[in-house]
Amino acid sequence: MRTKRVRSVAVAAVVAAGLALVVSACGSGGGSNETTTSATQGKTFPQLKVVWGTTDYMDPGLSYRLESWQIFQDVYLGLVAKRYGTCGVGAGCTKIIPALAQSLPKSNKDGTDLKFTLRKGLKYSNGEAVKASDFKNSIIRDFKLNSPGIGFFSNISGSAACEANPGKCSDISGIIVDDKAGTIQIKLDQPQADFLYILTTFFAALVPSSTPDKDTENPPPAAAGPYYISQYKPSRSFTVLRNPHYKPIPGIPTGNPDKIVAIMTNDLAQSAQYIQSGQYDYDENLLPTDRLKQLQQKYGNQIKLWRTPSTYYWFMNQRTPPFDNLKARQAVNYAINRQTLVNLRGGLGVPTENFLPPTYPQYKKITPPAYPYNLQKAKQLVQQSGTAGMTVGVYTISDDAVDKAQGEYLAGQLDKIGWKTKLHELAGANYFVIIGNQKTKAQIGFTDWFEDYPYPTDWFDVLENGKNIHATHNNNNSNVNFKDTNKEIDRLSHLPSSEAFTAKTTADWAALDKKLMVQYASEAPFLNGVITSFFASRMDPNCDVFTDLFDDMAQTCLK
Amino acid sequence: MATTGTSQEEFTLDTASELAAEEGGSKIEGKSPWALAGRRLRRNYVALAFLGIFILVVVLCMLAPLYVSHVSHLGQDDQNAGGFIHENGKKIPILSHGSTKFGSGGSVTLTPGGIPIGPQWGASGGPYFLGADGLGRDVGTRLLFGGRNSLQIGLTSAAICTILSIILALLAAYFGGACDWIISRFFDLIWAFPVILLGIALGTALSIDGFHHGPINIPAGSLWIPTLVIAFVFIPYIGRPLRGQVLALRNREFVEASTAQGAGSLRIMFSELLPNIASSVLVLFTLIVANAILTEVGLSFLGAGVQPPHPSWGTMIADGQDVLASDPWLSLLPGIAITITVVSLNVFGDGLRDALDPRAKVRIEH
Repeated sequence: MRTKRVRSVAVAAVVAAGLALVVSACGSGGGSNETTTSATQGKTFPQLKVVWGTTDYMDPGLSYRLESWQIFQDVYLGLVAKRYGTCGVGAGCTKIIPALAQSLPKSNKDGTDLKFTLRKGLKYSNGEAVKASDFKNSIIRDFKLNSPGIGFFSNISGSAACEANPGKCSDISGIIVDDKAGTIQIKLDQPQADFLYILTTFFAALVPSSTPDKDTENPPPAAAGPYYISQYKPSRSFTVLRNPHYKPIPGIPTGNPDKIVAIMTNDLAQSAQYIQSGQYDYDENLLPTDRLKQLQQKYGNQIKLWRTPSTYYWFMNQRTPPFDNLKARQAVNYAINRQTLVNLRGGLGVPTENFLPPTYPQYKKITPPAYPYNLQKAKQLVQQSGTAGMTVGVYTISDDAVDKAQGEYLAGQLDKIGWKTKLHELAGANYFVIIGNQKTKAQIGFTDWFEDYPYPTDWFDVLENGKNIHATHNNNNSNVNFKDTNKEIDRLSHLPSSEAFTAKTTADWAALDKKLMVQYASEAPFLNGVITSFFASRMDPNCDVFTDLFDDMAQTCLK
Repeated sequence: MATTGTSQEEFTLDTASELAAEEGGSKIEGKSPWALAGRRLRRNYVALAFLGIFILVVVLCMLAPLYVSHVSHLGQDDQNAGGFIHENGKKIPILSHGSTKFGSGGSVTLTPGGIPIGPQWGASGGPYFLGADGLGRDVGTRLLFGGRNSLQIGLTSAAICTILSIILALLAAYFGGACDWIISRFFDLIWAFPVILLGIALGTALSIDGFHHGPINIPAGSLWIPTLVIAFVFIPYIGRPLRGQVLALRNREFVEASTAQGAGSLRIMFSELLPNIASSVLVLFTLIVANAILTEVGLSFLGAGVQPPHPSWGTMIADGQDVLASDPWLSLLPGIAITITVVSLNVFGDGLRDALDPRAKVRIEH
């Protein structure tokens, strides 16, 4: 997913098949610096007041934003979940635990037939019993809602009709449920390495079958997790309460606050001010970059910093000149000073030339740097490419000060190396829809990617595979399409499960990263994002548990 | 025309002048309304002082290229985010260095960065006299070029608006009937929209792809887009009061006399009526310039006026608002420039109005 964006419906349709389940690998995550949930358990308190960024929806079938997913992690549960602990760098958050299912699934040899059994006595926050058919109905509901997540389920047998006509989806034959026995069987058309990870996304979370097949926000659908959302006023506020019917599930924190009250704002300065004044306890928004120094000096102990599994990069559309030329793409990579781009984010980033973030076990830093800042060389490459003097449209987001500055920086650098730039600053709400439309013919611009799940297919298959180029809602904004790398992505995605996390496979993913970024210069990655967590003085920041993408509100505690 | 010495009742200035000459006094010379207005204006020192300030602002902005070539050595859009300045032998980064370092054992070190250098007041040998912005651009250079853009848009749009308004007001009031009805409804239609909202709507729509119809091709990002948008939205604010004045004049004797002499409609409108509303036009023009500058600033601030990376005082305030806590000068300097310009224009406009017609109550009403 991307920051504050709704992702394409089509992208995940191709998260490729081939690998058997990575159940064995699911246990491989965790490094020496992982935090266990037990340290924060049993420190209950009446109310947590938080400041939150605005979001798109508060319905798990529709929302595709970090702001909602951070709330959902303690509210909506699927059959399986990512472990609730701070991830170690390098190991990633690859471990999956059973959630509403009793255990991880039993499967056949190639992982195309998965069998889950629900835990007994589960109830939603509205008192309804959790049934096996709710899983099937939740997936069907996603189709009916035309959810941005429906592409994730295209490998389920019998989903083709639903995919062709989402609004009229009534059955998926590959999901066989038995409410009496509480069993769920999922049949896949072909093996898919990341399918269990997909089941950890909130598009696969269970909601009661009685939930209307429309955006349900006030209140949002009943939940099977430790909390439920009792009230939501878009862009203004929401309230989260304990689920009175929740029975503790091993590995899932029961939570410390009895109630979470939130106000929503996108004003970073105002957001931080609420915490400084003690009116609120936690700031979900980033700290304002111009006040970082001041806030760090005064509230250093209350601020935590987290590396996210994200990469910020410049896309370069290889279907249109000048970026159909390798030398032009290399010129861009030489022309950008990655440290300057980190400076523009106030220091909240780590420069990178890799596409995969360092949180992945498959990450291998490109050393020595392939494209050190060298404006002279960039100019030469532009001349050699025969594209000097060409007009280049630079796209960026207008309503985010940092994205805007970075876009203007890129335009300035491209002007310096011999192109004439035309800046297109678009509102964030529409930005990715516009650049994801081939008719726009966006040549170069800002983009970022935050993982949906911790496996490299979420990066290379979705963003770098030529098979995943779409006319609209295109996430492969560069239109990357090299025969050899397409083939390698497919090969790696079709390895047997026993080889999914071997040293060789890991090295092969790393080699693919290097080939695409260095040899083909398919993108111009510049930094991995760092985010801030700001707590009020009454909170104990040591309780902060950062799962791979966000803080876990349930595990916060008072001093 | 008055004759002399033919009748006791027809005592005129000319008669008085002749009598004065006979009695050995100095001859009384008639003063035109413009000369009288000029004399009144010359005596209004406050208005003249503010006119001087406005002229100073204009001259300074016009000298922006000289400032670049002799002082800052950085163009209006030239970035230098990764650059340095030298001060007393010390190398100072234009943007402070920022980083986050993750150590073993989970330690994290943040060095906040990205803060631009403040005003150097000449210590760096010229560049960054008024500091740098978030992309290492010279604030002084951008302030002057931004002023050029804002003033150019303000003055040009006010001129276009005034010319169009005069034509429409004369046509509506002179011909009346259907012509008046159509033009008046057109005024009402534009008047019905708040200026800034109409400006945003038009500015945003045109800033995406520009305006390409028939022989007119205005590319996106051209200064002509905010200029024409502002000229358009202010038309009724000048057109309506002028129409009212022309309506009051069109049945006066001098118009009837001109008609009797066989003058055509165009001649009556532009040779008889227009000179009689010229003083109002002049006052309205000065007031509309100030309003046009403010509107340009507002539109640019909201992204519907001058397009980045080109500066205007509005875009400079917008760029600076996100770093108001650390670099307040980035917003304050263009804010002060706008205030000085608009206040000076308004005070001078008031002085001009008092000079041309002390009893007039001409003003721009929103």
